[in-house]
Amino acid sequence: MTLDVRPANPADTPGGPRHRSRLERLDAALVAIVDYRALVPLRIAVGLLVLMHLRPMLAESAGGVTYRDTFHVPVAPWYPEVPEAVYIAALWLGAGAAVLLAFGLFTRTASIVTAIVVVYNLLLTETHYHHNRAFLAVVLVWLTLMPVGERVSLDARLGRTPRTGAGWGPRWPLLMVRFQVATVYAASGISKLLDPDWIGGVVLQLRVESQLDVALSRGVPAAVVDVAASSSFQWWFAKVVVATEIFIGLGLLWRRTRWAAVWIAIPFHVAIELSAEVELFSYAGLAALVIWVSGRSGDRTLTVSPRWARVVRAFDWTGRFAIDTGSGSSLADRDGSRLEGRDAGWRCATLLPATFWLAAPWQVVRRRRRVDSPEP
Amino acid sequence: MVSSLPSPALRRWRRVVVAAVVGITLAGVVAGYSGSRVLAWQMFPEASRWQADIVRVAEDGSRHSIDGPWPGGYRWHTLVTESGLAAPSIEGNAAYGIDTTLDALQHALTWVAAHTPEDGETAYLEATVWYRHNADPPQTVTLRSPVRGEP
Repeated sequence: MTLDVRPANPADTPGGPRHRSRLERLDAALVAIVDYRALVPLRIAVGLLVLMHLRPMLAESAGGVTYRDTFHVPVAPWYPEVPEAVYIAALWLGAGAAVLLAFGLFTRTASIVTAIVVVYNLLLTETHYHHNRAFLAVVLVWLTLMPVGERVSLDARLGRTPRTGAGWGPRWPLLMVRFQVATVYAASGISKLLDPDWIGGVVLQLRVESQLDVALSRGVPAAVVDVAASSSFQWWFAKVVVATEIFIGLGLLWRRTRWAAVWIAIPFHVAIELSAEVELFSYAGLAALVIWVSGRSGDRTLTVSPRWARVVRAFDWTGRFAIDTGSGSSLADRDGSRLEGRDAGWRCATLLPATFWLAAPWQVVRRRRRVDSPEP
Repeated sequence: MVSSLPSPALRRWRRVVVAAVVGITLAGVVAGYSGSRVLAWQMFPEASRWQADIVRVAEDGSRHSIDGPWPGGYRWHTLVTESGLAAPSIEGNAAYGIDTTLDALQHALTWVAAHTPEDGETAYLEATVWYRHNADPPQTVTLRSPVRGEP
């Protein structure tokens, strides 16, 4: 996986028009045209996650039961409620549109329909509101403004996409979703930082204590449980948790720290999924990490054997490579540099989402070693 | 690649949208400190626990647990399925904080009292709630639905 470490907008480059006013520079940044190929996995994931989100409601609606038949609290008295039959039809319409979104068929329309249904349903009653659902809705809304169905989609297979510039679009929806996603991490961390019970470890300690029996029954050694339940450990661990959330939130916004923030966000979400019930949040959070991938695809040429070419194509979910087959292996990077053999392999591994987490630290170590022992 | 700059009106519109998104996002975060959880993103805010004994208080003053027979055949857990309120007699976490849970429980009592038309016996519902905000000393509070049939 590669992250947006250089400006996608030539107006931001050293040769760019620095003399412009701030508003003009803002306009230029917003309308810069970027490549949305990297967000294709997010489109597919969001389609599937919406199905998971709607599934319990669809199952109940099959028996004629909706939110109206159980306790619910309208978010606002003016919020429109449609007849029950229309509501059930809308849920099924949203599910169908989510399937189309995942497959990339009539993608723009499908994304809009899905977003309308999910957002309407989310705000229908306070009992529907959960942070993970709101997160999914935020990402979904911005997807409606991105050309994420013009590549790796049925629309592309059927020739229903522009002949030129397919998958490229204005940058501002990407900037907005990045801002909102970063806000989620930062706001969560800051709220904990400002809460004496949280930053002091009390909340974590109580949460762990309430799960002690479960942990022991699952075979967690008693010594580990004792340490985890100790107030001194949780006093420190709370600070680690808070610092992690804030670092992810702020680190994602700066190019220099983006790599590290994404790298930390992956185990962060995995840990949350293993330790708490958060419905779709972990999956949505992990999928949304592709919004931080560089806005250019296929600008690295990888030459490998036919067998490795098949492997890389299968795992190149964000479309990082133009792949040639040949003898040996080499990687022509976007900056013009060329890597051969193992170096090319390691670089390739850091650019693939499935191997990024393992390969990125090793890549950093290799670079450090090279810097520490320069060739004569 | 930079697209040709759109018309001034479109540029203004886009600036307004961007400013609104940034403003709403930050306002949601700030509003979270005054109780609203919508777009506040305060994850796992508390480790508070709670448990409630809910009874139906009949017009003659008699009190009946909601786990017992209920005129009309109603069951609490089929009427209240969301917000972690389906099994109030079992001690549980207040996922969004104890204030949110108490507020939701008050709404639930009101809703159930108003949506059990086959029950001709109950005057109102009453919940005796035991709760503990994080590690603070336990507290007890009583919540009641409006008296049924009253406007």
